[in-house]
Amino acid sequence: MATAGGATLEAVGVRAGFGAATVLHGVDVSVGSGEVVAILGLNGAGKSVTLKVLAGLLPARAGTVRLDGEDVTALSPEQRVGRGMGHVLQGRHVFGELTVEQNLRLGAYLLRRKSPAAYQPALAGVLDRFPRLAERRSQLAGSLSGGEQAMLAVGRALMGGPRIVLVDEPTAGLSPLVSAGLVDTLEATRETGVTMLLVEQNTRFALDLADRILVMRQGVVVHDAPTDKVDHDDLAELLGIGRLLSASVAKPAAPEAAVATKKATPRKKAVAKKKATVERAAAKKVSPKKTATPKKAAPRKTGLTKKKAAVKKASSRKSTAAK
Amino acid sequence: MTYRPTRRQVTALAVVVAAIVLPPLLSRLIPGVFTDARASMLGIGVTYAAMALSLNLLMGYAGQISLGHGALLATGAYTSGILTGRYGWSYMFGVMVAMVMGAAIAFIVGLPALRLRGIYLAITTLGFAAVMDAAILKIPYLSRGSAGVELPRPVANTFIFTENADYLALILVITTVVWLLDANVVRTKLGRAFFGIREDERVAQSFGVDVARYKMIAFMLSGALAGLAGAMHGHLLLFVESRTFAFPLFSLTIVAFVVIGGLGSRVGVVVAAASFGVVPQLLRAVQGWDLILGSALLIFAMARHPGGVAGAIAEAREKKEIRAARRQGEEDDASTQPLPDLAALPLPISDTPTATSGPLLEVRDIHVTFGGLKAVDGADLVVPEGKIIGLIGPNGAGKTTLFNTISGFVTPDAGVLKLRGNDIGALAPHQRAQAGLGRTFQLVGLAKRLSVHQNLLLAQHARANYGLISSLAYLPRAGRTEADLEARATEALEAIGFAEFADRPIDQLSGGQQRIVEIACALMNAPDLLMLDEPSAGMAPGVIESLALRLRQLRDELGRTILIIEHHIPLVMDVCDEVWVMASGRTLAHGSPQEVIARTDVIEAYLGAPTLAGVGGVPRSAAAGLGRPAARGMGG
Amino acid sequence: MGQALVSGVVVGGIFGLLAVGIVLVYKGARVINFAQAEIGTFCLYVAYFVVDGDDGLGLPWIVGALAALVIGGLVSFAFERLVVRRMFGAERLSVAVATIGLLLLLFSLELKFFGSAPRFLAKPIDGLGPKVFGIFVSPTQLLALVAALAIGFGLTAFLQRTDFGLGVLAAAEDANAARLVGVPLARVSAFSWTVAGALSVIAAVLVEPTIGIFFPGVMTLLFVPALAAALVGGLSSIAGAFVGGLVIGVVDQVVRYLFLGSSIAAPEIIASFLVILVVLLIRPQGLLARRAA
Repeated sequence: MATAGGATLEAVGVRAGFGAATVLHGVDVSVGSGEVVAILGLNGAGKSVTLKVLAGLLPARAGTVRLDGEDVTALSPEQRVGRGMGHVLQGRHVFGELTVEQNLRLGAYLLRRKSPAAYQPALAGVLDRFPRLAERRSQLAGSLSGGEQAMLAVGRALMGGPRIVLVDEPTAGLSPLVSAGLVDTLEATRETGVTMLLVEQNTRFALDLADRILVMRQGVVVHDAPTDKVDHDDLAELLGIGRLLSASVAKPAAPEAAVATKKATPRKKAVAKKKATVERAAAKKVSPKKTATPKKAAPRKTGLTKKKAAVKKASSRKSTAAK
Repeated sequence: MTYRPTRRQVTALAVVVAAIVLPPLLSRLIPGVFTDARASMLGIGVTYAAMALSLNLLMGYAGQISLGHGALLATGAYTSGILTGRYGWSYMFGVMVAMVMGAAIAFIVGLPALRLRGIYLAITTLGFAAVMDAAILKIPYLSRGSAGVELPRPVANTFIFTENADYLALILVITTVVWLLDANVVRTKLGRAFFGIREDERVAQSFGVDVARYKMIAFMLSGALAGLAGAMHGHLLLFVESRTFAFPLFSLTIVAFVVIGGLGSRVGVVVAAASFGVVPQLLRAVQGWDLILGSALLIFAMARHPGGVAGAIAEAREKKEIRAARRQGEEDDASTQPLPDLAALPLPISDTPTATSGPLLEVRDIHVTFGGLKAVDGADLVVPEGKIIGLIGPNGAGKTTLFNTISGFVTPDAGVLKLRGNDIGALAPHQRAQAGLGRTFQLVGLAKRLSVHQNLLLAQHARANYGLISSLAYLPRAGRTEADLEARATEALEAIGFAEFADRPIDQLSGGQQRIVEIACALMNAPDLLMLDEPSAGMAPGVIESLALRLRQLRDELGRTILIIEHHIPLVMDVCDEVWVMASGRTLAHGSPQEVIARTDVIEAYLGAPTLAGVGGVPRSAAAGLGRPAARGMGG
Repeated sequence: MGQALVSGVVVGGIFGLLAVGIVLVYKGARVINFAQAEIGTFCLYVAYFVVDGDDGLGLPWIVGALAALVIGGLVSFAFERLVVRRMFGAERLSVAVATIGLLLLLFSLELKFFGSAPRFLAKPIDGLGPKVFGIFVSPTQLLALVAALAIGFGLTAFLQRTDFGLGVLAAAEDANAARLVGVPLARVSAFSWTVAGALSVIAAVLVEPTIGIFFPGVMTLLFVPALAAALVGGLSSIAGAFVGGLVIGVVDQVVRYLFLGSSIAAPEIIASFLVILVVLLIRPQGLLARRAA
């Protein structure tokens, strides 16, 4: 079952829920290699649940999840991690009673079993990328500042050399200062070409970081477009904070019905970033030298603007039926 | 109003009367079959059932774990034994004092332990039982060397219960009374308060339940019943010593009865305890295997059905329902069921809020710190009477923390809270609820495993003004009040269109449905100030519209005051008279909705942008410069 | 008094081992394993069967001890596999009740096959032992002390220094996060329960010479002080539990010494209970636990 464009992570027609309640009603997500995709949505839209299903923490009741073309729907979270899925969890989920280095070592838990020799270079790579962690190497993670813990969480996720990192609401519950630090951390990570899927409430943060934005509402993806194709007003409308913005530019309030017309999914190939891919290939080896590549890389969005994302009306329920 | 018993009640009554009358009768008709030993064996089943009922009240209803119930049983048995055996008291008085002693010991142990939750109460009670076993029961006055205590069965200087079969009838009567008391607990505010505490202490408090007090009541009631059960058991055996309630096995075994029967299931625990009391004795013939088989069965039962007998039955019923639903081609999916139209919100009872000159709620300079993080950092808020006030702001701005501070769940480091000019800063959450604060929670604040109907009754806790005795005996006063609450609950159910969901547990409703029930519950007490934390989360657009309509109606027609945290801006624009904006723990601005949302600093705060110079002004320009902000300070 | 302190440390090491077992399971599964101590008693009977010349096989002490260790680990391992794992999503109380079932099962097996009469094992080493500063330290006490310390330190080192050990600690702190770096939770759980079972056996075999006899349920008598020890460490710290064991052990022996001949029965149990109360009232997170950041 070859997938178009060879998406790194792809979910098709995923339905899931808790007990009697269905939360996801056929969700399609696809993240290309080297791409950074953000899922936006209000509380209860199903963002975090989507991430749970992708991670394998919640079973999909229907639909498929593929990692590099391989169907992983039936695999456990551990098995998915073994196949190249990294995680940055919501809040500060570092192991507070362990040292920074022990945390990083755990990040390479499976790597150390597969190829023990790869551990030292990986560690050196991460410590190189986050010098602050190198300074705090033997300190207990619980004693780090919020920003450093966030950094450690990202560093830990990168230790195994993941194909994709799932980031769950990185700024939730963090103070603005810490959030800002985390933004820098994630940006630096993106510049090295790591593929990421993040769920975020902070709209601005997501717009800054992502190549592509998905908007979820009531368990379905209602909008999917490259970041610079996202009209700010439309986005606000989709999120349900429309009138706030509209009113501020003295426009009449837009009716809610606008949402319905925005159901769209772009072509999967719409996003291809050669530069990032090259960098990613370099970063995959995580050699200390390679991380010296300039942090602020060339304008990465040029490729995006030229390719118009084709917009098609796609009922997500249909794809479930097709499956 | 004439009382008509149902068919089931008549059958139950017949069975109970037969059970009570048969033992004395049979022992006289067929003494060869219904021997004294067999009567005693059945008696053990009965006393075990009484013990299980006592622990079930504490663990199953109130959710407090006691691993030392054996100590309370011993208290009862020794008390009654010493009074009847050594001082010649009548059985009935001995047993009554045993109950008082049980309650008193529970009070003493409960004082330090009930402050703490879960595992710690369990450890304290276990430790107390160890002390009881090793030290207290070894006191010579109690132990008489190793002779123990004899428990005769004198009633007014006659020994009419000498025969085990007759005594069996007596303890069956007493246990039936306990059963009825237990049923009264469940159907009054007492039981609902216990359930509320078990499900979520905060929710119970928000409905006005004094959690500390009700936990103590539960423990003392359980202690009294344990004293009773222990005394009955002792008088059945005619003799107790320290090994009768051997530590820790006896206490743990009763815990096992309750969990096997199914926590909170009266029928389940009685069946489990009675059968574990009787069946192993039948296996006595196979020397020693009774306990082995029993404990193996216990492990197996837990592994297969962690919810016990009651849990297994419920599971089976659920499966059957799902299968039935599948057959009809229906998805078993609460969220696809049509959300009832919000025809109305339950209307507050006649007492209209008393108008005062000043603002209803006044919040001044509140500061809250969590482990170094300033969650609320100098927030002000003024809520005038009869208005709907919105509180908006980005995630993590401190809105919910401020809510929790107002309702008393969070103690601020500094600041003033006034309701109608009275300082409420020193009041406990349940007292604030009783003073007129009603609220909902961000993560739906309802007792999740109770039905919609039960939640609507629990929500009226503060209005159920009858006492403990009325509860236990279900006196007319309690009956009248309950009928009243019942009527209001039914009214509310119909108003919100939930009549057909009345008996459905909350956790089987969709998020939006839960919200509606939660708001209805908060309104049941006709609060002076209704505080709603993100009421529209999880609601369908249509329902949000009718919610807005109902909120306006509450204000305009009934003069109610509402404070609302909301992300859904259209709703805020729609209903709010005034909006306060929070960001980074501070109240940033306030004014009419139109004024507030036109302010650029508000928009910045709302979109969650880090403070930076480049993207000020109109959002259009922000859209144009969507790329990346030019510079950002490195944090941490 | 000096003698009391010495035996306090020895008994404390044994409480410590039991407490570490309780903590290991509690951290991982949020369950108090009520059978924790009784596994030790059960395996004393296994050792007795192997070692005793009249009732059993008459093999050397060390063979009996090893057999006990293996059986103890196996019982615990099997319980985790067959019961705990099946109850993954169940109420923790139900799992705790299943461990009560295990306690009752072991107890009833002991009773069925060996009766309630007390038994004793041959001592591993005989003699009164050296006298240090006027205090007798018997060889068995010395063995107990050395073994307890070695196991305490060895276990800590294993947990801190190996990948799997770190995985165990990580899983205890945040199972979900550990799972998502690839720590095999199932194996971590099996490890915790098995080691806890083995610790119980070691504690039993080491303490038996000091008590002198054993009978069904004997180790469960030590369960409350062991729980108090675990609580002193806050139910979360392995090292804290071990130190808590030493504290409770010394309190136990000193109180016994001070109240020798008094009319108060079991003053040491009262002392344990008072320690529990004090800890819960003053610092429910444990006397030795780090203050949460």
